[in-house]
Amino acid sequence: MSVVEFKNVSKHFDKLKVLDEVDLTIDRQEVVVLVGPSGSGKSTLLRCINGLEEITGGDLVVNGISVRGGHARLREIRQQAGMVFQQFNLFPQFTALENVAFGPRQVLGMNRRDSEARAMELLEKVGLSDKAHNAPSALSGGQQQRVAIARALAIRPKVMLFDEPTSALDPELKQEVLNVMRQLAEEGMTMIVVTHEMNFARSVGTRLIFMEHGKIAVDGDPREVINNPPNDRMKDFLRHVQ
Amino acid sequence: MDVQWSIIIDFIPQLLAGAQVTLYITVVGLIGGIIVGTVAGLMRAYGGMILNGVAFAYIEVIRGTPIVVQVMFIYFALPVLADLRIPGMTAAVLAIVINAGAYIAEIVRGSVLSIGRGLTEAGLALGLPRWKVVTHIVGPLAFRRLIPPLGNQCIVSLKDTSLFIVIGVGELTRTGQEIMAANFRAVEIWTAVAILYLVMTGTLSLILRMIEKRMRIL
Repeated sequence: MSVVEFKNVSKHFDKLKVLDEVDLTIDRQEVVVLVGPSGSGKSTLLRCINGLEEITGGDLVVNGISVRGGHARLREIRQQAGMVFQQFNLFPQFTALENVAFGPRQVLGMNRRDSEARAMELLEKVGLSDKAHNAPSALSGGQQQRVAIARALAIRPKVMLFDEPTSALDPELKQEVLNVMRQLAEEGMTMIVVTHEMNFARSVGTRLIFMEHGKIAVDGDPREVINNPPNDRMKDFLRHVQ
Repeated sequence: MDVQWSIIIDFIPQLLAGAQVTLYITVVGLIGGIIVGTVAGLMRAYGGMILNGVAFAYIEVIRGTPIVVQVMFIYFALPVLADLRIPGMTAAVLAIVINAGAYIAEIVRGSVLSIGRGLTEAGLALGLPRWKVVTHIVGPLAFRRLIPPLGNQCIVSLKDTSLFIVIGVGELTRTGQEIMAANFRAVEIWTAVAILYLVMTGTLSLILRMIEKRMRIL
């Protein structure tokens, strides 16, 4: 069964067409890497999946639920689609542990003890159990992003959405985040990743999508299309990011 | 120059009674003002076109007119317009509520909007309803940023009560004026009045400083 299905999806910001009649089906356990020049619509595509951007045409179905089904359905979708942001967006008033426990407690209705036990488990998974009681401001960017991944995982999503998760990080901190993502992929998590990390795309991705002007220009096996870009624009793009 | 500071002592009870009225108007008015301001501020920040427009109009009308005019309108014009006789005290409190409310609305809106969109999105992306994002994430963060400008508004409103001399409410300034009119001890009385205001605003500042210190302002 498909996890995410775009059916002729368009997205306009006023007159500007950011997504242009996109059709796309993503199945369970796929690791889809979304690349493309800035303004090509890749982040918008990702943000439409959990309704942070409202689609203006077509239909988008996540795990059998349409994003056009209203607030309550949208919240269901968001519980099945964890999101990791470029700027981490950890809640600054909470510790790392409280950040991760927040979702289970407030969204899934778990009690404090269970939610914190779950949070601790996830912090261990991302290698940060020793930082559980630190404030986000006391963590490095890479550590903050790993906490953010744990926070998104805490509501047991079926699919994880990554919006340029390493773009705000210094080069030496990118790897620790990419390693966590690789581990997630190996565990069979369905992932959609907007990134410029071509090595990650090659080694972890199962599918690569190159976007241009709000359309899917290339859709194929990462190694194949990176080694032999099927069009000039993508060739050009790869020269710039590699 | 004939200045006799000792005469102040005789008028202390009267002046303290005036200060009490000032405090009463300020406290009750500000409680109302904070409620009105929070609602109007949230309407500005989160409301659709209509709610936003209503709040915007309210804020612009109040900020664009002097508080003396507002209280005169409530006290003298409303009875004509609506056949509604409003006692001076009520008019004074009401004036602070609507006046402080408008300024506090802008403070609330500013604090809420100063919390990055990213945190709201992070909350929504977890599947939280919007109201929970406001009460659990944006609200507590905005509240900390709200304290300093809100404190400022409290002090301004306290001093604004002196303008209600125009509708004859027996607050501190009016009390000073009445004593002065009887004995012409301008230096002594206005010094005493000023000191009483300073004591009240100073106490308010001190309380605010303590709240700020207790809360880590993020």
